[in-house]
Amino acid sequence: MSPDTRVAVAEVAELPPGARKLVEVEGKSIGLFNVNGTVVAILNACPHELAPVCRGRVTGTTLPSPPGEFRWGRDGEILCCPWHGWEFDLLTGEALADKRRLRTYPVTVEGGTVYVQV
Amino acid sequence: MALPYPVVDTDIHNVVSARRIQECLAEPWRSRYAAGSRGPGHLGYWNPNGVMRSDTTLPDGSKLEGSPDGLATEFLGRYGIDIGILNPAGTLHMGLSPDPDYAAAVCHAENRVVADDWLTADPRYRASITIAPNDPHQAADEIHRWAGHPGFVQVLMCSGARMPYGQRYYHPIYEAAAAHGLPVAIHPGTEGIGIAYPSTPAGYPSTYFEWHTGLVMNYIAHLVSLVCEGVFIRFPALRFVFIEGGVSWLPPVLWRFDKNWKALRQSTPWLERPPSEIAADHVRLTTQPIEEPPSSTRCSACSPPRGC
Ligand code: FES
Repeated sequence: MSPDTRVAVAEVAELPPGARKLVEVEGKSIGLFNVNGTVVAILNACPHELAPVCRGRVTGTTLPSPPGEFRWGRDGEILCCPWHGWEFDLLTGEALADKRRLRTYPVTVEGGTVYVQV
Repeated sequence: MALPYPVVDTDIHNVVSARRIQECLAEPWRSRYAAGSRGPGHLGYWNPNGVMRSDTTLPDGSKLEGSPDGLATEFLGRYGIDIGILNPAGTLHMGLSPDPDYAAAVCHAENRVVADDWLTADPRYRASITIAPNDPHQAADEIHRWAGHPGFVQVLMCSGARMPYGQRYYHPIYEAAAAHGLPVAIHPGTEGIGIAYPSTPAGYPSTYFEWHTGLVMNYIAHLVSLVCEGVFIRFPALRFVFIEGGVSWLPPVLWRFDKNWKALRQSTPWLERPPSEIAADHVRLTTQPIEEPPSSTRCSACSPPRGC
């Protein structure tokens, strides 16, 4: 990432694991999430019907399992859209049950500052 | 006229002689059957046209659907049917009897008569193993008993039910059928009778017309249950046949089903692909009676996927 195009959006101290912060960058609403130590940046628009997806629940989910069994996992890695409940993998942006995906932006952390390239 | 493919009639309602069923029943069931106690009774919905064709009386006064030879000649022969699957619907309602032992006995007797009197009469005949799902373990035993007989090609049970067919209670039936590579089929006619729930979630309709039109609600409930409960994941070889329930409802139900899966899949994590794909692989519908929209092009959404 060229240092010229990145924008400082937060201090690392504001984003401990599990935290989120909504920021505006060049007119775009973007959600920053610290996913178990990895900071990701996501456009605050659900690819389904444009809900402010970054205001959804961050949770885990049921992992693939045989019928009648339930295995919980991926705690803190799943973002649930506040409108229709689609689940997204925060680390990749992929939906768990659809081909559409979240728009993600590259994040760098340097000298205690979080930068996003939009 | 010879067709370039075999013609299979998937739903022939032969009428199995009650006298022969009685002969094949052991006591104490034979006396009970002879006394006229033959099931949980019907609600009395009345089809003014009758349910069976009314033009099937043979010259000797007997009925075509009751004659193994007559049906073979006058029906299979006359219409160029290469394979005819016998689904003797008269005993299906036993599956909703509160008495599962009697129901199992009557189903077994009927299967015996089908094997002895019908499957021997013409090489074009195939038949369903009739079971009573009110005791899934006895039903599974009945499947194992007949599965080796080359004339029996599927398992048949009533579509009226006291719980949706995907639920674990019924799994012994599917396990047995899948083990023998036999599809499980359901057939309407028993909705609302015996220990079944009313034929619609809103309650009992008033007329046969209303009852018959609404049968699809029950089919939808069973389809959604079978997929959601993971029946086709537990039993990957299983195929399920929805007989005589129409076809036009299927595409919109699957659209709705897939949409809901995107939001709610976490409650059924074993469904790793859209319900419509699972249904396409495991579910078949028969086409009679098919809906008749004003223009037949409206049926295009019902075309089978992937050339099935
Ligand atoms: S708008 Fe996000 S799931 Fe519909």
